[in-house]
Amino acid sequence: MTSLISIRGLRKTYRMGDENVHALAGVDLDFAAGEFVAILGPSGSGKSTLMHILGFMDTPSEGSIVFEGEEVARLGADRRAWYRSNRVGFVFQSFNLLPRLTVLENVALPLLYRERPDAEAAAAAARVALERVGMSHRLDHRPGQLSGGERQRVAIARAIVGSPAIIFADEPTGNLDVRNVDLVLDLLGSLIQEGITVVLVTHDLSVAERARRVITMRAGLVQEDRQR
Amino acid sequence: MNFLERLRPAVVNGLRELRANKIRSLLSMSGIILGVASLVAMVTVVQGMVGNFRQFVDAMGGIEKITVDKQPLPKEQEHLAELSEGITMRDVDRLRRTVPLVRNISPEARVGFEKLAFDGRETSTYVNGVTADYLPVAKRWVDPGQGRFISDLDVLNLNDVIVLGSAVVPDLFPPNVDPVGQVVKVRGRRFTVIGILNNIEGSGMQIRSASSRGSGGSWRWRNSGVFIPVSTALTKFNGNDRLSGLGLRIADPDQLRDAVEQTERTLLAAHKGLRDFSITTNEQTLEDFRKTEVAFKLSLGGVAGISLFVGGIGIMNVMLASINERIREIGVRKAVGARGSDLFLQFLAEAAVVSVVGGLLGLLVSTGIVGVMNYILTQALPTGAVATLDWAIMAQGLAFSVVIGLVAGVYPALRAARLDPIEALRHE
Repeated sequence: MTSLISIRGLRKTYRMGDENVHALAGVDLDFAAGEFVAILGPSGSGKSTLMHILGFMDTPSEGSIVFEGEEVARLGADRRAWYRSNRVGFVFQSFNLLPRLTVLENVALPLLYRERPDAEAAAAAARVALERVGMSHRLDHRPGQLSGGERQRVAIARAIVGSPAIIFADEPTGNLDVRNVDLVLDLLGSLIQEGITVVLVTHDLSVAERARRVITMRAGLVQEDRQR
Repeated sequence: MNFLERLRPAVVNGLRELRANKIRSLLSMSGIILGVASLVAMVTVVQGMVGNFRQFVDAMGGIEKITVDKQPLPKEQEHLAELSEGITMRDVDRLRRTVPLVRNISPEARVGFEKLAFDGRETSTYVNGVTADYLPVAKRWVDPGQGRFISDLDVLNLNDVIVLGSAVVPDLFPPNVDPVGQVVKVRGRRFTVIGILNNIEGSGMQIRSASSRGSGGSWRWRNSGVFIPVSTALTKFNGNDRLSGLGLRIADPDQLRDAVEQTERTLLAAHKGLRDFSITTNEQTLEDFRKTEVAFKLSLGGVAGISLFVGGIGIMNVMLASINERIREIGVRKAVGARGSDLFLQFLAEAAVVSVVGGLLGLLVSTGIVGVMNYILTQALPTGAVATLDWAIMAQGLAFSVVIGLVAGVYPALRAARLDPIEALRHE
């Protein structure tokens, strides 16, 4: 498998009052295209910080990130926004759908932030993505009218609508009942068939076990990186 | 191009937010609504007023009229009173020769408030001695079929002819009698009616008095009075050669100052330095009107400005509150690829939408205000509407509100644009 992301010596230091907090204390990792990875760890282990940096929401204090062959560790805000709308998808624990928009509009949203937005093409792509997650019968509903499982499937559709290289799912099953947990995890796992790298970020071992590779983090460092 | 593509969804989004928070939006718009309404109503009413001023000044002979009146000598010249000859026809000749800027000179000799009699009917009005130049100077005329005005020949021959103001006619003649050619008596002297002056119907500045109702309305004062040749007035009534004044009409209003100066110098020289005359122009009147206009505009504009300012603060306040409520939404939008500028545009467009809708509602209110004001003014004054809304003013009012909305929206929009996406997503 070809390398999608390669990170070396990644550090992130926050200043908290008089103290420096090392959220990431030197992380080296490689992610291949089409990999299903879980990042496991308790809160404060640095897994969220790692996800934010790899998801172009934040920048590291030190270290290098090569994404699809390009050094991206020190990009400006607009360039990072480009990566978020073109190469990355997010799935959140609390779904984070916009309540005033319909399902279709929510899913089409990332495409409207691209350079040449085309509302019709975006709606068409959103329909395809919703079909993919089995939600094409709810296009004109508002998120408030959907169940938790349905909302998360819509959120996954939003994450994949722009054909990203990688999807970060941050505790995607934290607000779901058992039946929907399986459904959502299966759905996420199936995305690797399309060449998408899926990164599950969780503190739940049973969720992490669904991935083929589990990276365990502790105190800003990779403690264990095992393939199953 | 790209900007427009981004603007449309931002505006649609703004309308959606407006609809979702109707009451709050209305409250935030109230300042803008009142501001625009008062601005538009103010400008409209002031413009109507100024229009009336202009008409009034025009009715007084316009800006190109100079009035020379006899006046008592000032204190320091009182002992020279015997030398004063007053204003005479000789002055008219001198001015004709020496002040080329003056096109017409109308000498006027007031006879006084006299009784006119015709066939047992009587009325009293002012009798003035004038020449043919009275018409161009006073901007009056005789309508076709209404006879003619006093001619140079009438003046030369001291003819006993009379021209009536239109308001005098119904008082003196039964409706079925054509006044032209009839003979009326003034102080026992028989005058042949040769014409009737045009009737002035004004819709402008209203001068109200108890007697002003009825024919001619409040313009009656301009339509009353009768005119006889100035020579007739001087020799057959007044018994001296002193005129009561001159009306001068200049060719070019821009040369008013020069014309006044030349007139003054000529008259002073002719009067041996005696200041037994005064020179006035309508410029001063117009200037007074302008000052009133400016004062109105400043005070009312101040009120409108303050309410627009408050309106702007209202919009800013509501935008900040709205952003606080939607921090998570901002985080989500950023997470899916929105740039800071996208969010800036989105929230600025929202502020603009609020101000445009507020401005439109304000225009609606302003039509109401102007309507009510017109109603009140027409109740107080019997003729003529006072102010009409015009599209240019309304467009200005709307543009004002949009500018206010945009200015008020900048700070909240900047805050939204600068929010950290991670912090925003964590926000509960």
